Amino acid sequence: MGRTMRLARTVALVAVLAVTAFVVPTSAVQPTEVSLVKIRHAEGVATGGEDVVWILGVGSDARPGQAMTRARGDALQLVGINTRTGAATAIGVPRDSWVAIPGHGREKINSALYFAGPRGMAGAMRNLTGIEPDYVVVTRFPFFEDMIDDIGGITVTNPRRFTDPNLKKEGFARGRIRLGGYDAMAFSRIRYNLPGGDFDRSANQQRTLRGIHARIRAQADVPGFIERGVMSVMAHTDTNASPAELFEIAQAIAQVDPRKITTCVVRGRIGSVGAASVVFPDVAQARRLGREARQDAALRRC
Amino acid sequence: MAHTVTPVPHRVTPYRLELLMPRPSPGSVRHAHRARRVVGLALALLVLLTSACQSTAEPSAAPERLSRSDSRASLASHPEPTKVGIHRVHGRLPVARRKAVRRQVGAVVDRWWEAAYLGGTYPRSSFPSAFPGFTDAAEERARADKALLTNQVAGPRIDSVTARKRTVRLDILATGRQARAVTAQFVLTFDTAGSRTGTTAVRGRLFLTRKRGAWRVFGYDVAKGAR
Repeated sequence: MGRTMRLARTVALVAVLAVTAFVVPTSAVQPTEVSLVKIRHAEGVATGGEDVVWILGVGSDARPGQAMTRARGDALQLVGINTRTGAATAIGVPRDSWVAIPGHGREKINSALYFAGPRGMAGAMRNLTGIEPDYVVVTRFPFFEDMIDDIGGITVTNPRRFTDPNLKKEGFARGRIRLGGYDAMAFSRIRYNLPGGDFDRSANQQRTLRGIHARIRAQADVPGFIERGVMSVMAHTDTNASPAELFEIAQAIAQVDPRKITTCVVRGRIGSVGAASVVFPDVAQARRLGREARQDAALRRC
Repeated sequence: MAHTVTPVPHRVTPYRLELLMPRPSPGSVRHAHRARRVVGLALALLVLLTSACQSTAEPSAAPERLSRSDSRASLASHPEPTKVGIHRVHGRLPVARRKAVRRQVGAVVDRWWEAAYLGGTYPRSSFPSAFPGFTDAAEERARADKALLTNQVAGPRIDSVTARKRTVRLDILATGRQARAVTAQFVLTFDTAGSRTGTTAVRGRLFLTRKRGAWRVFGYDVAKGAR
């Protein structure tokens, strides 16, 4: 009986292995015909021109039917990618920051998009940080959700639990959390009951950017992933980058080393101009961050 | 450049077969016959779907002894043609342009392989022009990775190189019916003879966009290993 059982188990095991050998598809990267005892790896992307590419990401609050480049820019992240070192940085700016907008005097920075379009927003950012972005990418919240869904969602590290009665009643748990499109949008938009208000929201947007980067990096070698991502970005954003430039940027992002990502949010103090509540940004800090990161996309301290 | 179309064993075959094969009811001879016909049709379609471009390398694969004075020097013999296939076109691109991209990008990859691994005389330690088809900036980066992106390290101990496998699969990004960018996923396997005898595999991805009217490599992600 024992031998019969052993025999049956062996036959079953052989059958499972045989079926597995035929059924399980080959891996995404086929094994070579040689067994490699030593493998070394090199990667590099050169987008041409300077080593650091600067991209201003703008989340427009355009309502349905409204042109997203003629609305307020509510999420503002100036992202630098160093294609030589694999470093990257993000400088977040609170949307209510009171800044000089080229040709429009002083206004909240989020209105730069409405008054002067992406180019005006780039100018306002240059006035504040000293860095003129090479590219401006504007998206709106539903499009942002679609893009996150297109890449399969992201994972972020949330330092504190927070909720919002309108956008996320059940709230976001503390710790590593998985976000689909809607949740990534809500995580990046919510200011309600965040102790640091707009500053904490900007920091959350940077956590979202880290999550997006991690997802891109993890999937970059899946055939077609970057191409699909670029198609999604083209479908869901307004940008001055050509398809080829978007492809180059996407490949550069994929090669960013997560250990070399640094982020800061421009500080400021809450005040008012007339009846409007505004943030008076710490311009000296913003300029210092710009100077520090301009050459190598690395921030030593905030 | 010779350009022929031949069927290529393709890694997507298991998926395609699974999708195309019918599920005949047990014991049904009629269904079994139909299933065989469908499988045959599927195989024929597979051959068509996975047909690939074979581009011979530049310079020509025709043997040519470059260094007659060095008795040890032997021409890297590499009759194995490069098989270039398209994994997917993202966007719309007319068939003629797909073929052109396949041919042109295949040639760029071939030129790099020839310059960096397969061509020229061995033994040697100098690979001064190993990155034809790279942008200037990418070439500068690649020179820092010459240990992997060329045969420079093992070159002095190699007498000859013979290619065993040369495959390239392309993902093409197209807008406005024009190809804008390409990821070329590749596997190159070659045998070396000499005091450094063995098999080396180089695999990874090259990233290309069109610059000044030609496809150029602006980035790479390459792994190299030897047995």
